[in-house]
Amino acid sequence: MVTEEKKQEILEKLKNCVIEYDEDGVKEAAQEALDVGMDANEAIFDGLVSGMEEVGRLFEAQEYFVPELLMCADALYAGLDILKPHVKQMDLGVKGSVVIGTVEGDVHDIGKNIVKMMFDVAGFNVYDLGRDVPLDKFVEEQIKTDSDLVCLSAMMTTTMVGMQKVIEKLREKNPDVKIMIGGAPVSKEVADKWGADGYAPDANNALQEAINMVSALKKMRDEAEAKKR
Amino acid sequence: MPVSTMTPRERILKLFNGEEIDRVPCFSGMGNVTAEGMKDLGYKFAAIHLDAKMMAESAATTYKYFGFECGVVPFDLCVEAEALGCQINVYAHSEDILYPTIKEKVIHNEDEMDISIPADFNKLGRIPLMKEAIRLLKENIGNEAPVGSYVLGPFTLAGQIMELNDLLKLSFKKPDKVGKLLDVLADAIVIVAREYEDAGVDYITVREMGATSDVLSPRVFKNLILPYLKKIFSELKGNTVIHICGKTNDIVPFMMESGARAISVDQKNDIVETRKKLGNDALIFGNYDPYNVLVAGDEETVRSTMRKCIDDGVSAIWPGCDIWPTVPPENMRAMMDEIKNYGG
Repeated sequence: MVTEEKKQEILEKLKNCVIEYDEDGVKEAAQEALDVGMDANEAIFDGLVSGMEEVGRLFEAQEYFVPELLMCADALYAGLDILKPHVKQMDLGVKGSVVIGTVEGDVHDIGKNIVKMMFDVAGFNVYDLGRDVPLDKFVEEQIKTDSDLVCLSAMMTTTMVGMQKVIEKLREKNPDVKIMIGGAPVSKEVADKWGADGYAPDANNALQEAINMVSALKKMRDEAEAKKR
Repeated sequence: MPVSTMTPRERILKLFNGEEIDRVPCFSGMGNVTAEGMKDLGYKFAAIHLDAKMMAESAATTYKYFGFECGVVPFDLCVEAEALGCQINVYAHSEDILYPTIKEKVIHNEDEMDISIPADFNKLGRIPLMKEAIRLLKENIGNEAPVGSYVLGPFTLAGQIMELNDLLKLSFKKPDKVGKLLDVLADAIVIVAREYEDAGVDYITVREMGATSDVLSPRVFKNLILPYLKKIFSELKGNTVIHICGKTNDIVPFMMESGARAISVDQKNDIVETRKKLGNDALIFGNYDPYNVLVAGDEETVRSTMRKCIDDGVSAIWPGCDIWPTVPPENMRAMMDEIKNYGG
């Protein structure tokens, strides 16, 4: 049995290596966590994710910028790749599946990839359509995968407007699907006006929004089921 | 108030010269074609990037219809990257307004960053078409309105010809390597901008939005980007503007130091603070939100935003980005009307 002291040491190492974008350090610590028999879930959430939370704070404080954020994300994934196969049970209270992509006309995918990472960490099934995605593709993929959530991302004002059409089409095919839009130019006003369920200017925000939306959706379904019976 | 006798071109050239003018001008260094203008010409957005005549005619309509005080070509951000060998996508199939993007980049990994400028670069891609469009646009409205064009800044152009993800990480891990690429790209940008100057543009905007403080730290901007912006502006003879959107308050002194005649910032900039930092003589262009105000806002929002820009102390009313083509005509008219009344 691993001592509490050792456990704390490994968690601290995972966290710090994410913050210091030290991929090799993260890999080492992740392997050590498995070797001493630590719970992979704990290593992910109390190690990797708590490191990423601190990265988010540093980004907010303008001590870190996008290059650092990308390197920290690489470090987190390096650890996640090792730990994820050993996760027994994700317990976030809610699990869901999500279709995610950058809308047609937009070839930027950095923001989308960070949001995707948060979903990966949280144990969502992620269907990543990539970037410059034709509008119909979002609708097709949502139906095909029966996903709870569709996340649309746009980096520029000039591409953001395309999201409005995707939202309309998704609603037409599936009124219940939850839709989140994100990216630098997106505002609450735009999200409301176009009928999106949520909006997220950044990744931390996106995950919390997503979890709220998926739980709301599941609750709605359960209630509908209960009525039928 | 005396009726103005200055043409927009006189007004704006005087502004660049630091001379007295009758009121604050309202123009842009970025794309400003409107759906209204294209509709009457019968042109689709996807087509106007590939034909000099259609490009020039479309660009002229914003001045002709609304009195917006300039004509600007092109409308997309791919001209230099295409001439450097990238494939572009104009979304010809689409009825929607989609801006052209890069389909195939020329640098696929770190080892391919050692590029040189192709021979006869000024004859490649759409550079000759751009020169022709500038000439036609000048013929069309150039006596009354100034004609402008834009090029990308070196960092933003680097993000077009290689993966932005890689570029950003390398700018941290291997700044020397990135610097070498930016140096080559600065030379390429100067070649393109000089061609536009030859064709007769009244001003050129260098769009370096990839280096916004939302993405890069002011320190990296100063050390890695600024030297190459300086190189570009020292080589250009005409009126120049440096444009960066997003967070810019910490880098406006560097933008000024780049050697551009004027700086252009968007709605995230605190103009009052910027004016205080840069002094009364600095040319500061900005800073209304071209989508949330001009397209999605109502007329009163447009008018109050214009008054705020003027009160904050901009030297010219100028959008934070390209004007989205579906802008309501009444908002364009309200903008021009408010500036004519309030901007004296």
